[in-house]
Amino acid sequence: MAKYPTEPLKCWSKAKELREKFYREFSEAHEKGGLRWMGSAWAHDAIPQGLGRDVKCITGEPYGASCAFDRPLSAEFLAATENYGFARDLCSYMRNYWGSILVNKYALGGEFPKADFAFSQHICCSHAKWYQNACELEGGDVPLFAIDVGAGPYPPFAPKLYEHRVKYVQEQLLDAIDWLEKVTNRTYDDELFLECVWNDVRSTHTWAKICMLNRAVPAPLDEKSIYSLYVFGTLQKSHPEFADFYEELYDEVTDRVQRGIAACPTEQARVMSDTQPPWGFLRIYRYLESWGAVSIGSLYTFGLEGMWLYDDERDEFEPRPMPAEKPKTREEGCMLLADWHLSKPEYQHFYHPEYKTRMMAAMAKHWGVNGIILHYNRGCEGLSVGIAENRLGLLKRGFKVMTYEGNMGDEREFDEKATETRIDIFLEALGLQKPE
Amino acid sequence: MIEKFEEWYRNRHEYQTDWKQRNPDKKMVGFFCTYTPEEIFYAFDILPVRVLGSHEIQDVTEPHIFAMFCPYCRDVLAQGLKGKYEYLDGITIGASCIHLRQAYFSWDIHRNPGWSHYLPMPGHVQSPRAIPFLKGEYELLIKKLEEWTGKTITDADLKRGISIMNDARRAMKKIYELRKQDAPPITGVESMYMTCAQFFTDAREFTPVAERVYDELQTRKLDRPVGKRLMLVGSENDDLEFIHMVETLAEREPVGATIVMEEHCTTTRYFWDEVDTSIEDPLEAIAERYVLRTPCPSKDWPRRSRLDRILQFGKDWNVDGAIVVQQKFCDPHEADIPFVRKHLESNGIPTYFLEFDVTTAVGPFAIRVEAFLETLEAEEDLF
Amino acid sequence: MITAGVDCGAKNSKTVILQDGEIIAKASVLTGFDQKASVKASLAKALEAAGLTRDQLDRIGGTGSGQKDIEDADVKVNDIKAIAAGAHYFFPNCRTVADVGAEEGRAAKIDEKGGVVDFAINEKCAAGAGAFIEAMGRALETPLEEMGSLALSSDNSIPMNAQCTIFAESEVVGLIHAKTQKKDISKAIHDAMASRIVSMVRRIGVNPDIVMIGGVGYNPGFVEALRRELGVERIYIPDIPEFGSAVGAAVVAANNGKS
Repeated sequence: MAKYPTEPLKCWSKAKELREKFYREFSEAHEKGGLRWMGSAWAHDAIPQGLGRDVKCITGEPYGASCAFDRPLSAEFLAATENYGFARDLCSYMRNYWGSILVNKYALGGEFPKADFAFSQHICCSHAKWYQNACELEGGDVPLFAIDVGAGPYPPFAPKLYEHRVKYVQEQLLDAIDWLEKVTNRTYDDELFLECVWNDVRSTHTWAKICMLNRAVPAPLDEKSIYSLYVFGTLQKSHPEFADFYEELYDEVTDRVQRGIAACPTEQARVMSDTQPPWGFLRIYRYLESWGAVSIGSLYTFGLEGMWLYDDERDEFEPRPMPAEKPKTREEGCMLLADWHLSKPEYQHFYHPEYKTRMMAAMAKHWGVNGIILHYNRGCEGLSVGIAENRLGLLKRGFKVMTYEGNMGDEREFDEKATETRIDIFLEALGLQKPE
Repeated sequence: MIEKFEEWYRNRHEYQTDWKQRNPDKKMVGFFCTYTPEEIFYAFDILPVRVLGSHEIQDVTEPHIFAMFCPYCRDVLAQGLKGKYEYLDGITIGASCIHLRQAYFSWDIHRNPGWSHYLPMPGHVQSPRAIPFLKGEYELLIKKLEEWTGKTITDADLKRGISIMNDARRAMKKIYELRKQDAPPITGVESMYMTCAQFFTDAREFTPVAERVYDELQTRKLDRPVGKRLMLVGSENDDLEFIHMVETLAEREPVGATIVMEEHCTTTRYFWDEVDTSIEDPLEAIAERYVLRTPCPSKDWPRRSRLDRILQFGKDWNVDGAIVVQQKFCDPHEADIPFVRKHLESNGIPTYFLEFDVTTAVGPFAIRVEAFLETLEAEEDLF
Repeated sequence: MITAGVDCGAKNSKTVILQDGEIIAKASVLTGFDQKASVKASLAKALEAAGLTRDQLDRIGGTGSGQKDIEDADVKVNDIKAIAAGAHYFFPNCRTVADVGAEEGRAAKIDEKGGVVDFAINEKCAAGAGAFIEAMGRALETPLEEMGSLALSSDNSIPMNAQCTIFAESEVVGLIHAKTQKKDISKAIHDAMASRIVSMVRRIGVNPDIVMIGGVGYNPGFVEALRRELGVERIYIPDIPEFGSAVGAAVVAANNGKS
């Protein structure tokens, strides 16, 4: 019963290659005389990249998700962290990551490549603790620098961007550069840093523009595919090839919209999700599609590595415009990075769930969403904080909302059958018919 | 006099409504985390009171906070949803863990008393940038409080706030010193009544009582065996039923214990550090105090600075063992616990781990604590 | 129009036969390991009671956790739709329904036609109301039928951790060791289980016209605890609460899939 034409994404294999190359480069960095660092996907990764082009990183969240894809391997990692004495309700990415170190296995093959230093940011209770403990588990001699970004909400959720807030982050970033020079004995390359800052801005801006294209009916992208594409922002936003790739992808998705190419040829209803999915069970998205429901994205996939601004007066949610000028000095580069990332949509709910509800409601409205599916993700307290209030806020605004409990990285906490039953009930209430 | 603490603990609402009646022109603000700068509220003549849970089973928070967040934050929210704090004029939180933030958020949405303030409190307390940032936040808070109360404050007011809080801290620390004695004149239960009573009362009324208790304790002899000297380490804890069970084990079993020290945000993490009055700018001095205090583990990085203080407490209070307790689902502590235990044990302090919920299964816990105490006996036999 | 509603639950498989809106027969058999066989037996028993044969039925609606094993079903009725239609059948004014069975608790907010507006289902680790009370009855050496009235005879309130049954069980053991009276323990168990269901119902909002279906509806101790915790005057319960979902399935089958 196809309503719309569909075709696979042309850049799919390129995306796969880029991702594999990224993980390989991390494990092979030392052989090429380079350095390795570990840190959060939300880190200002342009900062360590100013140390040289041979500096490679691994970001814990996408790595943890990769582990979760491989369920038997993940089970081994999770058991190792529990045996070490860690509670099983901690962030499941983090537990998969620590488990990799403890078992000494790299999810992409071989032994776990030890990092030379750790560089992260900190907004939930776990980010900096993750690498503090990873450093300890890697032998106690890996130094850590983390940037606290818990500096308060960004306008319009605060009356203005207070100077002391953005300076707090900027100055930590400047301190981090001095620290990096000290722990690596390298001279920092400001020119390279500024190039990386611009790549970061370019990739996070372009990603938001790509997501804007999903306002089209039929949606050119479905969320299961979006997961494979947004990942570059989580791997390394400042990577020149990733920024270029997003520009290519933007052209391709624009072309799909112009030609009316659908991600889901049977699209009848549109849903949006929230928080990371249970990675080992992405087939639930295909289950939705079997009903004719396409998930067009989420504040999570749009706003974790895409930069947006919410407009209060127009109740609009649009990509944050690129800065008028490129930064010219280290100070300007750090200021831009600090300011740019403080506006991250996925930071705002840490200060009040209402901010997130407003962005989600605007998304639901402008992307033509019929129902909202919230994942009460037991694996990530940071993105599920306030989610029950988001539900209440969205219901109050008249949206239809469904919830399910699960875990992004610990399959023991996800019940696929029960979730499908909930989806059945919800989609039927949206007026869809169960497929035969 | 010491019973006064228990009375205040048990009758917090009565005390607070009475305070409101006695001070009809003054405001009272409930705070959710010990990272709230009470000094600033006192400078405005506003009474800050901490909102703790009630350890009662409740079913009102399910729509607001889902199951993986700690029972403590749900217990706190339940107090608001059940209307137990209708007399508050405002609520505030100095940000630390994101669990407790949810209690504040939901309270703010559904039970807003008319004034609320979320205070971003730096997480990177080991950075030199934290104090100037926090000072900036305090300036915003003060502006908001000035608008609310119609008052403006001076450095002298802030210094008055500092001395009110420092006096209370010093009074409690003096009493804690007495717990170093071979036979402490105050039990762990009484001590926790004291520290929690401080949350619930006007420090200006609390401190004179604490000072009198200190005098009384000079000659007080408790008619109970001390048993093993234990320290409690971990997350929020005002589980007095548990402490009482531990301290009365000897009445039923051949082993017994006394809690002589704790590292909790209901006790020493909260009050141990004073504001440095030699710093000229009082606002900077307050910011420095909250940045440099023993941190919540969520802020204790890159160095795990808590460990040294915990160990020092253990040594100075001559403890035989430590019970490491954790609120179920408390992520900040869960990330620290294996290392806290390792650090204590490698320095000769045996540990035992327990997970706390809103109610304690006292029976099964008694068996476990008893077994732990027996292992402490066995270790001593080796020498 | 004659339809049957079959509800394959965790403990029992129930069938109701509906003729022009009247219940003319019902049957319940234990859901054994072979769910398909239990379903067939339940349907056969109900048909026999009604004096009908399979081909005299216009349609069969199937629901419940074992729905996939109801091979005869013409209309698949999701669990929530079934409880909504069932509650609406017995009490047309009902706007909130709670279904409390052996293993699962669910609740739905419904409109004036019995359609689903919002719903909640107990999460994995908070499941098992009826089965838990039964298991604790064994620990107290009290038959299940007496557990509820035993609870009603107690005036004491002992708080019990309700979030996890494993935890609750260890608290029950503690109470037994502490020589707590059986009636007080029984009340604590019922209060704890009821508070879990109340937590769930609160997610969709409490409404004065609240209906409870499911086998636990026979347990007066549980019903009273539920009423008290919800703060309502009364809970509406059909005479045959365990057949609530089966009736709903039969109603939906009669409407050919619509609520």
